[in-house]
Amino acid sequence: MSENRLRVGIAQFQIAPPPAVLVTYGLGSCLAVVLYDESSGLGGLAHTLLPHALASNDGQRREKFVDEAITMMITELNGRGCATENLTAKLVGGATMFEPSPGSEKEPIGVRNTRAAREVLKERNIPIIAEDVGGNHGRTLEFDLASGMVMIKSVRGQHHDLAL
Amino acid sequence: MVFQSLTDQQLDALKEVSNIGMGHAATAMSQLIGQTIYLKVPHVTVTDIAAVPEILGGPERLVVGISLQILGGARGDILLVFPTDSVNRLLTILLGDAHRGSELDDIATSTLKEVGNILASAYLNALGSVLGLTLIPSVPALAYDMAGAIADHVLIELSQEGDYALMVETLFHGTQNTPDAITGHFFLLPDPGSMAVILRVVGNPL
Repeated sequence: MSENRLRVGIAQFQIAPPPAVLVTYGLGSCLAVVLYDESSGLGGLAHTLLPHALASNDGQRREKFVDEAITMMITELNGRGCATENLTAKLVGGATMFEPSPGSEKEPIGVRNTRAAREVLKERNIPIIAEDVGGNHGRTLEFDLASGMVMIKSVRGQHHDLAL
Repeated sequence: MVFQSLTDQQLDALKEVSNIGMGHAATAMSQLIGQTIYLKVPHVTVTDIAAVPEILGGPERLVVGISLQILGGARGDILLVFPTDSVNRLLTILLGDAHRGSELDDIATSTLKEVGNILASAYLNALGSVLGLTLIPSVPALAYDMAGAIADHVLIELSQEGDYALMVETLFHGTQNTPDAITGHFFLLPDPGSMAVILRVVGNPL
């Protein structure tokens, strides 16, 4: 199985057919977005950092933004023959690793990342069929294209192993 | 401001000022735990933010991270990373019998934050006097989890301004450089916007 494992780094996404296993490690407030087309078995995984691009982010990598990474994955999946209406989504991550400093009024970034993903997916009519988001622990996930299952490992959360 | 365009001379200047700060932080740590603390030569790395978890020892490694923001005349982040076994040794020295087991209770968490505060304050005091700036640490925050998840916290800050991180990393260790010595990593991650301020003061303007 190990030769099928593809690692998705921070601010990257990858689309793959079965029997690939897409893996991303150590998600904190970063959010992993999984898109899957059950009929063709094709799916994608993005490891995103920030909810939206601002004007000051011109010229930077687009994959690090939740909204842009989702759009780019949909475009690539469409290009490889997946209809948007066949796609389902799973969200993992978006934790708050360090307690917010006192007096900080800004919403934690993990929460904002998760909301951004829900908004974009809603606009595209892609249902979120499972999620393991929030909390204050890190997560590693494996997305098995052969089954569409997402396995989540954590060292500090309530569930050390969780299948979505 | 792009980190990739810094010259070797500028990176050396940064390493040098950071080293002065680390000297003071090591002295403070030595006095705290009653052991000499040795510093390794600092590394200055300009790296893609995606590579930072590897530098922290791999994204899934279980570590304690203590994070402090730098406030005042220049901005940035300080991240102290201790491997789990070093944390236990540190707590045994500082708390004695009050430290039991490997889970971090309130006393342990609070003690480690205070260690972070002492190290960061000593570091920033020295750095501030060299630079002629007032630099103060924020209230420390602590997390005990995968290194990758802990790194996210500072990477997200940095990624708002670019795709690269500049890190000044110093490894320190206790009395003997043996497998059971206390080791830790001290990371300085200046905000891109504050690099100009720092380099102007050290005489290597952008």
